Amino acid sequence: MSAPARSGIGASPRKRDGAELLTGRARFLDDHRPEGLLHAAVVRSEIAHGRIRSVDTTAASAAPGVVLVLTGEQAARHAGPVPYFIDPAARGGNRTDIRCLQVDKVVYAGQPVAAVVAHTREQAQAAARLVRVDHEVLPHVLDAHDALAPDAPRLYDDWPGNVVMHNRYGTGDPDARLAEADVVVSGEVRIARSTTAPIEPRGYLASWQGDTLTMHASCQNPHQLRWMLATALGVDEGHIRVVTAKIGGSFGLKMQGYPEETLVALLSKLAGAPVKWVEDRRETLLAGAREQTHRFRVGALADGRITGLVNEIVADIGALTAQAGWAMPNMSATTQPSGYRIPDCRIELDIVVTNKPPNSAARGFGKDAAHLVMERAMDLVARELGLDPADVRRRNFVPAGEFPYRTSTGLNIDSGDFHGLLDKTLDTVDYPGVRRRQAELREHGRYLGVGLGFELTPESSDSPGTFVSGFDTTTVRMSVTGMVTVLTGVTSPGGGNDTGIAQIVADELGIPLAWVELVQGDTDRCPNGFGNFSGRSMVVGGGSATLAARDVRAKLVAVGRLLLGAGEVEVRAGMVCGDGRELPVPEVARALLTRAFAIGDIEPVLESTRAYKPGNINHVPDEFGRIQPYPTYSSSLHAAVVDVDAETGKVTLLDYVMAHDCGTMINPALVEGQARGAVAMGLGSALSEQLRFDADGRLLSDRFKSYLVPRAGDLPLLRMVHQVTPSPFTMHGNKGAGEAGVGGAQAAVANAVEDALAPFGVTVRSLPLTPPAVLALIDEVRP
Amino acid sequence: MRFTRPPDLDGVTTALAGGDALVVGGGTMVVPELTHGRVDPPAVVDLSHAGLDGLTRAGGWVVGAMVTYTALERADVPLLSRVARGITGGPQIRNRGTAGGSASYANPSSDVPACLVALDARLRLASVRGVREVAAAEFFLGAFRTVREPDEVLTEILLSDVDGKIGYLKFKLVEGSWPIVTAATVARPTAVRVVLGGAAAVPVAVELDPPPAGTTDPAWRAHVASVVERGIDEAGGGWDDVLAPGGYRRRIAPVIAARSVADALGEVTA
Repeated sequence: MSAPARSGIGASPRKRDGAELLTGRARFLDDHRPEGLLHAAVVRSEIAHGRIRSVDTTAASAAPGVVLVLTGEQAARHAGPVPYFIDPAARGGNRTDIRCLQVDKVVYAGQPVAAVVAHTREQAQAAARLVRVDHEVLPHVLDAHDALAPDAPRLYDDWPGNVVMHNRYGTGDPDARLAEADVVVSGEVRIARSTTAPIEPRGYLASWQGDTLTMHASCQNPHQLRWMLATALGVDEGHIRVVTAKIGGSFGLKMQGYPEETLVALLSKLAGAPVKWVEDRRETLLAGAREQTHRFRVGALADGRITGLVNEIVADIGALTAQAGWAMPNMSATTQPSGYRIPDCRIELDIVVTNKPPNSAARGFGKDAAHLVMERAMDLVARELGLDPADVRRRNFVPAGEFPYRTSTGLNIDSGDFHGLLDKTLDTVDYPGVRRRQAELREHGRYLGVGLGFELTPESSDSPGTFVSGFDTTTVRMSVTGMVTVLTGVTSPGGGNDTGIAQIVADELGIPLAWVELVQGDTDRCPNGFGNFSGRSMVVGGGSATLAARDVRAKLVAVGRLLLGAGEVEVRAGMVCGDGRELPVPEVARALLTRAFAIGDIEPVLESTRAYKPGNINHVPDEFGRIQPYPTYSSSLHAAVVDVDAETGKVTLLDYVMAHDCGTMINPALVEGQARGAVAMGLGSALSEQLRFDADGRLLSDRFKSYLVPRAGDLPLLRMVHQVTPSPFTMHGNKGAGEAGVGGAQAAVANAVEDALAPFGVTVRSLPLTPPAVLALIDEVRP
Repeated sequence: MRFTRPPDLDGVTTALAGGDALVVGGGTMVVPELTHGRVDPPAVVDLSHAGLDGLTRAGGWVVGAMVTYTALERADVPLLSRVARGITGGPQIRNRGTAGGSASYANPSSDVPACLVALDARLRLASVRGVREVAAAEFFLGAFRTVREPDEVLTEILLSDVDGKIGYLKFKLVEGSWPIVTAATVARPTAVRVVLGGAAAVPVAVELDPPPAGTTDPAWRAHVASVVERGIDEAGGGWDDVLAPGGYRRRIAPVIAARSVADALGEVTA
């Protein structure tokens, strides 16, 4: 390929909606205000566990502006259970019916039990506070380990316990490897509950015309939402249109399966008017993103090679949800042993419910925890053997020549060069220089630390029989004017895949970027698709757009050949060229679409709809029962340099480097934007973010003064270095680039803090490393 | 809910006479509470038009209750101007938030209360019953509790000139967090007074010996720890909230105090 055009693949044209966003003209969900709009508020359980005896709506119904008050019992007459995004039963687990409003039992504080519709949001919220729920309070359990006890309170009466499912992953004989090893290192990682924090919270706006529902939603997966609404409400799918407005961040939180989706549609139907609900920040913060404990043992040879891994995971998902979030811990298991050649692994996973709000899908999707565990294991082995942590990684990486490489848990890593990433990271962060400075500062009682974190990020997943789909569909349509409309099944959470897809289409068609318009997130306009998750948008959205664009280009070439009377014809910069002559693309388009009979034997359509299925996905279980659900594996190597104040426990990030390999970059600026966001999310969960509950299970950290996301001043410049190892299994060699950074950042920080405090001999066992937590670590070993 | 925005102080005291009103100054604390329905007072009195935003140099300083952090930032009021520049939340908060409001709200995790105690400020309270002045050290009764009666309004903060070196240190978990422990120091040749904020439910004032061998001297640090810990215990123990347990605040308070003294004495730290 020649040097990239300024706007083609590999260039970084500005985000298409940048000006709109910066000048406040972008229309988000809350900007849609149809005539006669009513507003909903959700009444949430104030207790963590109990039976609902009665719901008294008298005062709320009489409150000013109130149009409708709905209880769970009433809602159940109109709507069935919310269907699962990923049904646990399909994976051999326990399930329960998820209702839009609870009918007889609540299992977490914050669970929807009633709803109010009023003329204004304030009226709805004021009335919601007047709904009285009479409960029989049941004992609750907030900790997953407690929930595993035989006499623990049960969330779901018909389950044998509180375990959604138990799974075992891995092959080989890790016990034998551990028995033969020169050293066996054990460790623990407790990951506290953190969450996503999109600037725009979730929200829905439902309006009915007769028996047809239009649903505006701040969500990631409009087609899946349409199906779920159709199923829950018993409405034909063809009578539902879902439109996802401009989205202010998703991060997995806005994959659907929430009670409020069905609820808002139902409220609108019962009220006979458009109804909108936008959640409060304290409602957004109810959703967790991750919370689990890992206990692990690894065996290693004296040279640092790790020969076996055993890991027991207890994942606390809160209450069960129809959203995809409950399934994340599976990926914590299967993403081990990451990019390391450890054929003998056993990973035991218990996914456990507790009386806390559900975990929702979140960037990282459980994969982040795998990296934290593996990277802690690398550092612990290095410490035990007196080796440099970088060398231990070097000795264990799958070498660049061995791809595709199948891991013990079954993932088939498409490509990579992990040693190359390590070299780039160490160079960029000036590893020897940092070590020298560390030694000098220690003389003065200052504690500098450097930590490494490798991350292997499986992306663009496919889960058979679910709506986690590894393909997607795009239509490319050229009009008679030569302008192109791209209608795609992938949606943009704000990250800019619309720009990337437009770049691909313009490049493939040979036309200026400005001629391409993108349409996303409208089930009436876009082909059937699956939206946004798992770093899939450029892999499958870009791939399908490529195929469709190539079809249209082929048509332009055919018509151009005819019109120019040329043998060889190409399209570039908006011109169809051949034999030294050229015609503008719009003229060629107009010729085909207005003089079809004169042109003759060419079918007069400048439109193609194509689906793209990347390679490397394999759902036929092998002899160990392993499947291979990901086409691509991005990789990255992170280095964090920290200063730890040993008197207060405060960790200050001094430098941060990420060497990143997502194969071909369609738009490097957008890749970096995604990576910086993911790293910031990882750093937040590593250092300050934690959802805290009181003893009764009520959320305490319900605002940004108590749930502490990092601000600009908390972060150093996040330095990015790129390595390009194209995937052999995707259209352009690109790999997912939406998630990489969460786990790598967590691991790099955990290792850096432990490294900084090496003179004390502390061992990091939990995140976040808040100042009180770090000081406690020091106190624990201080003589 | 009755809402009034009186044009002068008499109007304010009249509106407050019933003793059932919530006073709104800059509103950065109470407006979110009102918005979320966490407080539901029968009356709200807005001070924004009452002419309480004067900031005057008169011997010391007279800081009107409605003087914003932004106004303080641009002035040269001992300690308070410096504190105002470090208030979390950016210009939007500093343009609205007031030192008087922070004092009246008496959130243990805030900068202003301990600073006022360190400055030996006097707080002037007005009501239809008259005007009184209270020393800052007497003003704060507990977390979110002051001696202000429900029919009173804080009108002015009175500051005398400070005859010592001033130091200040604020410890936060991250940029966005409330202060966890603050320490305001006034160092005089023979005595060093440090007032800690955030450490306990109310500001904790301690008198320290001047450090004979620098603020990192272990012996002096031990002295600071014992005095500070005793002070916190006498004030009811470390303040505990969702951000940090009381034990942690009590643990780091001597460190923050010592660093604040170092700041006052102009010690250069590594």
